[in-house]
Amino acid sequence: MAQTTLSQRNRLPARLHSLLSWGLFAGGIVILLMLSQKLIALDIFPENWNIGLRDVLNEFKRWVVVNRNSHWMFTFFFEPLSAVIDFTLRRIENFLLWLPWPVVIFAVFIFAERIRGLRLAFLMVACLLPMGMFGLWEESLQTLALMVTAVIFSLVLGIPLGIWSARNDMVEKILRPILDAMQTMPAFVYLIPVLLFFGVARVPSIIATVIYALPPAIRLTSLGLRSVSDEMIEAADAFGSTEKQVLRKVQLPLALPTIMVGVNQTIMMALSIVVIAALIGAGGLGEVVLKALRRLRVGSALEAGLAIVFMAVLLDRLSAALAQIERHSIQQFRGYRLFSEKQRGIKVIAWLERGISRVYAFGVTLSVQVEKYLAKTFGPGAGWLYNRADWIVISLFLLLATILLLLLGVQDFPAALHFDISRPVDAMVQWMQVNLYNIGDSGIGTGPLRDFLIIYVFKPLRTFLTDQVPWTVVAFVFVYAAFAASGWRLMLSVLALVLSIGLIGMWPFTMDTLGQTLVAGVICVGLGIPLGIWSSKSDRADQMIRPVLDFLQTIPIFVYLVPVIMLFGTGSVAGLIASVLYAAVPVIRLTNAGIRSVDVALKESAQAFGSTWLQTLLKIEIPLALPAIMLGINQTIMMVLAMVIIAGLVGATGLGLEVYQGFANDNLGRSVEAGLAIVLCAIVIDRITQQFARKASQAANIN
Amino acid sequence: MSTVQLRNIWKIFGPNPKYVYDTMDRAASRGEILSQTGHVVAVRDVSLEVARGEIFVVMGLSGSGKSTLVRCLSRLIEPTFGQVLINDVDVTAMNADDLRQLRRHTVSMVFQRFGLFPHRRVVDNVGYGLEVRGMELAERRLKAYEILQLVGLDGWEDRYPHELSGGMQQRVGLARALAVDPEIMLCDEPFSALDPLIRRDMQDELLNLQHELHKTILFITHDFHEAIKLGDRIAIMKDGAIVQVGTAQQIVAHPVDEYVREFTQDVPRTKVLTAETIMLSQEGKNALSGEAVLYNTTIEALIPRISATDALFPVVNAADEIIGVLDRHTVLMALAES
Repeated sequence: MAQTTLSQRNRLPARLHSLLSWGLFAGGIVILLMLSQKLIALDIFPENWNIGLRDVLNEFKRWVVVNRNSHWMFTFFFEPLSAVIDFTLRRIENFLLWLPWPVVIFAVFIFAERIRGLRLAFLMVACLLPMGMFGLWEESLQTLALMVTAVIFSLVLGIPLGIWSARNDMVEKILRPILDAMQTMPAFVYLIPVLLFFGVARVPSIIATVIYALPPAIRLTSLGLRSVSDEMIEAADAFGSTEKQVLRKVQLPLALPTIMVGVNQTIMMALSIVVIAALIGAGGLGEVVLKALRRLRVGSALEAGLAIVFMAVLLDRLSAALAQIERHSIQQFRGYRLFSEKQRGIKVIAWLERGISRVYAFGVTLSVQVEKYLAKTFGPGAGWLYNRADWIVISLFLLLATILLLLLGVQDFPAALHFDISRPVDAMVQWMQVNLYNIGDSGIGTGPLRDFLIIYVFKPLRTFLTDQVPWTVVAFVFVYAAFAASGWRLMLSVLALVLSIGLIGMWPFTMDTLGQTLVAGVICVGLGIPLGIWSSKSDRADQMIRPVLDFLQTIPIFVYLVPVIMLFGTGSVAGLIASVLYAAVPVIRLTNAGIRSVDVALKESAQAFGSTWLQTLLKIEIPLALPAIMLGINQTIMMVLAMVIIAGLVGATGLGLEVYQGFANDNLGRSVEAGLAIVLCAIVIDRITQQFARKASQAANIN
Repeated sequence: MSTVQLRNIWKIFGPNPKYVYDTMDRAASRGEILSQTGHVVAVRDVSLEVARGEIFVVMGLSGSGKSTLVRCLSRLIEPTFGQVLINDVDVTAMNADDLRQLRRHTVSMVFQRFGLFPHRRVVDNVGYGLEVRGMELAERRLKAYEILQLVGLDGWEDRYPHELSGGMQQRVGLARALAVDPEIMLCDEPFSALDPLIRRDMQDELLNLQHELHKTILFITHDFHEAIKLGDRIAIMKDGAIVQVGTAQQIVAHPVDEYVREFTQDVPRTKVLTAETIMLSQEGKNALSGEAVLYNTTIEALIPRISATDALFPVVNAADEIIGVLDRHTVLMALAES
């Protein structure tokens, strides 16, 4: 009895409260709609509010161009920095191109074998060979040189900063938000100032890459050092180590695996902007992709794209293996077992395996002999030398091979081994273009689909957001969402951010982009949540979907952009489809993971009360997985926004196109304004969705 | 002639230990101080003297402050109050450099969970203390090989710690501490993480080594049997304070309170008690009839000699002077008293 009154007492105000807040929301919109009829300033964002950021920026750019050769900032800072980077890059690139191609392949092979084993070594060769066979050997090595240089500079900066922030909480506190910003900001935003200071060439692309790839190096160095156990440090202290000795002899070596994970991530981040970097003259594979894209040569774009994928696999696996390297004292050789008993029944395989084993045994015997010789010659003090006898043998062999092959004139990948896949791919795409664009003139096909989307979705939505709805109403919706998600504080900062978009004169473009983002977001969520639920319910579905998601996340966006363009032409639809392909991944993953992590006991108890499958899903699993799902939605929307620029590149209207056109027309201010608007948009949506995700997790009582 | 002297060591953990030390009620219990101030008194007014070449065991249950105490000695943990003297030099007043030199040359440490560096080969673990001193590679390797041989690990130099068994790992830990040729070794429950059988081997090993090397060893344990086996003298700690200090015989024969008695209960008294601990004064007893008994003979060894006779035995010291007497009755009474 007491309980009933209690719940009644609680229920009424709760309902009233929700009614009130919806009323407030609707009322606000109605009032704004009515007011905007009378007041034009509330209807269309007033022109004269534009603070003219682009003029200031363009003025600044003019100043830079005039003063580039005279001002101290350039002659004493940017120019020397630029020279150092250029020097490093050139040296590495020339060295790689100077090496005979078999030496490059064998060096990677043997390195992979030493740190992980033959399996990885063969994978590495399988990644390297196609680069040469597609006729992209030189471009691949250029890209590799670019990566290596960018990674070197990232580490040279990142590791000391990581050490510093591990040892100083204040530094950590200051660095954290900066690193967050560096990681969330679209690369274009800092590409532009970098361009301004360094001009178009390979140096700025390296600097942009370094900025983009630096955060994981810093973060994981700091994390690695901080997670060295106190026990180790105490042991080092107990023997009277100085602080430097503790760092160098104990902390850094123990943090090395974590630091290597950071290196791995740094490499992957760097690789992911290879194509974007090509836009500002990085050269290499990215440029091949871009050129092919501009000429709509799907075949060559695919070749270069695949070469990037292979490069990604190569660098990823190699650095991941380096991160998990195990320390073993002695070489134990038991013969290689690469194949199963069944496979070994085939003569060729058995023969191959025996051959490999013999070569390997020879290498080990040689290393052991060298080790013995060195031990005898140099005594026990030189253990550091002879413990690495295998490396000495390998280095000598590589050196000899290089000299020999150079004398024989072997350097570039031979044309005789080329294997062209661009022509058949081109032919296939042409076939698809002819046959799928409009299947049998029936009005079904990719062409009509595109037209449908443009005529019935994008155009009306854009008109609705830009012309029909007053800007104040859109702003009100965001501000109100911020208030509902968190409270006054977020509301005020969202208000400021939304106003800023208008103040830099980007309101109409932002609305266009917002509309497309909305469509892409809805499609991603609409597809992603059911797919996520399906793969959480069926292991088979999970096994099918997972590799597709991995594939979509690892290959450069540009690669699947090409077929999309071929089928849908350039424009907003191509941008939309590319965005959906790229951004649907997190919502699928997190929905799957969220539902899978719901406690089995809870599901059982729901079933014990006789819930149907659907009831369990709707009443137990989804509410409990909601925080994960909300996080997935948040990430998905952020990824859609990250794609805005690339969508602009393929002709999607809105902010992306603005950035790109500002770029193409040498109007720096325009690019910056549009880039800034993307960032502002991203921050607003990120904050609001994150707060909703937090609310959801509070409601589910999950910490 | 003591190497190590601890004078009134206090260690209080918490945000403001100095203030708490100055203001607290010295008589209050640990729990009372915790609830009043939010600070934990880990070590409470400990004074000790460890003689040169002695194995001094600090025994206590977990949380008794023994590990904190041993760390105060080389200031791995800074004592809140009190003085540590090593060879009459005040360690608590040392600057960072002098302290580092002390740790590099005079005091070394063996850890409960070995504290071996997983990224270094055995030989480089053993050579670590020499390395941070600045010794050349070849020289420190030779020294490390030598020490590894001493602890019976020759042939394992180039392995990594994880490739060794627990007992072998602690041998490396012992070798690492010995390699710097320290005067004093601090052992923080070095054998607790080992299996019982291996633990016994390691205890014997330590005694053998000590027989040759004569280090001053401060040994921490929670195992009373280990304390009795290894300790020349034993200090028993409870709630941060020392309850009783003495030889194994003194503690077993005369536990100061119930707490100590608990530990002594399941100790085989025949193996611990010696003639010296149970003998009576010689006064008024002139009818010595038995053969002289050496002062450190255990009861276990006495029983066959006295069980069949009522004779009164003289107990003699190392210089063959009579220091007391005992007979069958004395032995039986000592055994009954537990």
